Amino acid sequence: MAQTWLEKIKKSEKIGLIQDGKRKVHYRFREGEEMVEEYSMDTDVLVRRAWRKRGTLGADGIWEVEIGDPEPNSSNFESLGIKESNSAPFVARRITKSNLEWRIRNLPYSLDVYTVTAEPENRCITVRTSNKKYFKKLSVPDLERAGLLPEQGRIKFTHQHNTLIITYQKPSEVIQLEKKILEEVKAVKVAHDGDASKCNPS
Amino acid sequence: MASVAAAKVQEVREITRIERIGAHSHIRGLGLDDSLEPRHVSQGMVGQLSARRAAGVVLEMIKEGKIAGRAILLAGQPGTGKTAIAMGIAQALGPDTPFTSMAGSEIYSLEFSKTEALTQAIRKSIGVRIKEETEIIEGEVVEIQVERPATGVGTKVGKLTLKTTEMETIYDLGNKMIESLMKEKVKAGDVITIDKATGKISRLGRSFTRARDYDATGPQTRFVQCPEGELQKRKEVVHTVTVHEVDVINSRTHGFLALFSGDTGEIKAEVREQINSKVAEWREEGKAEIVPGVLFIDEVHMLDIECFSFLNRALENEMAPVVIMATNRGITRIRGTNYKSPHGIPIDLLDRMIIVSTSPYQEKELKEILKIRCEEEDCEMTDDALTVLTRIALETSLRYAIQLITTASLVSRKRKSTEVDIDDVKRVYSLFLDENRSAQFLKEYQDEFMFNELEDESMEVSAG
Repeated sequence: MAQTWLEKIKKSEKIGLIQDGKRKVHYRFREGEEMVEEYSMDTDVLVRRAWRKRGTLGADGIWEVEIGDPEPNSSNFESLGIKESNSAPFVARRITKSNLEWRIRNLPYSLDVYTVTAEPENRCITVRTSNKKYFKKLSVPDLERAGLLPEQGRIKFTHQHNTLIITYQKPSEVIQLEKKILEEVKAVKVAHDGDASKCNPS
Repeated sequence: MASVAAAKVQEVREITRIERIGAHSHIRGLGLDDSLEPRHVSQGMVGQLSARRAAGVVLEMIKEGKIAGRAILLAGQPGTGKTAIAMGIAQALGPDTPFTSMAGSEIYSLEFSKTEALTQAIRKSIGVRIKEETEIIEGEVVEIQVERPATGVGTKVGKLTLKTTEMETIYDLGNKMIESLMKEKVKAGDVITIDKATGKISRLGRSFTRARDYDATGPQTRFVQCPEGELQKRKEVVHTVTVHEVDVINSRTHGFLALFSGDTGEIKAEVREQINSKVAEWREEGKAEIVPGVLFIDEVHMLDIECFSFLNRALENEMAPVVIMATNRGITRIRGTNYKSPHGIPIDLLDRMIIVSTSPYQEKELKEILKIRCEEEDCEMTDDALTVLTRIALETSLRYAIQLITTASLVSRKRKSTEVDIDDVKRVYSLFLDENRSAQFLKEYQDEFMFNELEDESMEVSAG
C-alpha cells in the first residue's frame, strides 16, 4: 500500500511553483484525477491538499479539499437551491509535524457530549454526540496510504471556542512516507513566480 | 406608495400547485388492454381504433428496444388525433424512456444548421442508463420553514431541518428547492432523499415515529425507518441521461473560458465520435445500457429535401431512435423542390416508413371527446348543450368546439350558473366565428378591407 502511493506520486505528471512562501505542486494522474499540494517553505509541512476527479460522464468535478480550510463557496447554491446552513458544523483537516488534526467548527456542545472512537473495521474515526446532534465518520487517507488502521490509543480530543479538535499522533510509518514524498516534491522543477505584488496589472 | 405595494400583493398568487391544462393534457396513455386491443374510451383516448392498435404494436417494438431507426408516419386530416396518439405513446413509455417532441419548423434557426438541429434532436432521443456515484442527503424532515418577503415579490428563503438517528442539520433553501419541495408536498415526518448533483427530491415514505399521528394518511402511505448514520452519503444511483446531454457536458469549454460560454451552439463532430466510442465501451464493459427512445416530429412536411435526405442516412445508424412523424398534408410539394409527393415526403423516405392513418371522428366519438375535455377543463355541461356542441364539432371542427367549452363555461359563470346550458353555447357560437363563417364574412365584405385591389395576384401566389 505504502509503495503504491509512492509509485503513484512518482509516475504522475508534476508541475511546481513557488508563490507566497509556499511550494505548490500540481499532480496529474492517469485516470484523469488531479491533486494540488501546498507546502510551507519554512517548515516543509503540508498546509493544503485538494483533489479533483472527472465525473463518470466526463464533466469536471469540483475541487475537494482534503487538508486545509474548505473552499468558501464550493457549493452550487444558485443552481441547486440547497446548502448547509452557515451555522452547521464543518470539518477542516490539518497536518502538523507530529500529528494529524481535525477541527470541527460550529460545535457548541460541551466536551462531555462527544465520543471519538477508532473503528479499524471501517477504516475510520467516528465522532458521536450523546445529544444526537452530530455524527461524522472521518476517513484517514494518510493512514490508508501507509497501509495502517486507526488505533484508539493515539486519539486525543479537546473542545474550545465552539471547536472540537481531534489529534491523532502520527505513526512512524506515516512520517517515513511523508519524508519520501517530500523528497519527490523537492525534486520537482519550480517556476519562480515571485510574489503577486510584482505583477503590474495595467 | 404603500397602497401600490398592497395592491401588488393581491396579484401574486401561488401558481406552483396549479397545473395548467394543455391541448392534450387529458391523455394518459394509448388506452389498450393487455392483448393490445384498443378499448373504445380509455385513458383519454376515443375511437381511432385501428390507428391505436398500430401504435400499440409500435409501442411494443420500442419497449423491446432492439430495433433501431424505424420511422412511423401518422397521416390524417387536421384534428383526427395524430398528436394525441404520439402523446399517448409518450405517456405509455413512462418517464425513463426519452421522448423528444418537436415541430418540423423548429429546425430552422440562425444559431445552427438544420442538420445540427436534427442531429441534436436525434441524440436527445437516445438514453444511456449509467451507474454514477453521487452525494445524496437522506433524512427525516423535522421542520420546513419558508419566509415570504413582505412585498410578495422577490426571492423566497427557507430552512429545512433534517435528521437521522444520530444527527441533525439545518439547510438553507433557495427558491428552486422550495418550489420542488412544495411540488412533492413534503412535510414534517417524511423521509426524503435529495440528489446533490441534480437536486431531485424523492419521498421514501413517512417515518415510523410519526405512525401514531392522527394524520389523514391514505392506505398507500409507506412507513419507513428513520435513516441511520450521516445525513450525507455517497450512493451509486442509476441515472438515465440522453446522449445529447453527454455531448454537452464534454463539449463545454474547459478552464476559465467556460465563464464566457453560455450556449453550446454546434457540437463538433469529433466530440460526438468520441462520445459514441465511449458509450460503446461502457456498454461492452456492462457499465451502461442504451435506451433507444422516440423522436416525434410534428408537421413533418415543414422539413425540406435536405433534411429528408439527412434523415434517410441518419436512420441507418444503429444508435438511431424510433422516429414518429405526423403530417396533415395530402399530395403536396416537397419543401425545397418543385416535385410533388404524397404527404410532402420524398418517395425513398416514405418507402422506409410504416404509415398509420387516422380517419375523421364519428359523431358519437366527438361527443365522448368533448365530454372528456369538459371534465379536464372542469366545466359541467347539460346533455342538451353537449349535443349542440357535438353538432357544432361535426359541422365546423373539433378544435373549434373545444375552444367553446371554456368560453361557454365563463359565460355561464357570469350568469351565476354552475352548469353550461344551450344558451351559453349559442351565445359563444355567435360571439366567436369559426373558420368557415369567418371566410364567408370575408367574402361578403372583401371590398371594404384594405389592399383589396391586390387580391387577385396575392391569391395566385399562395395557391401556386
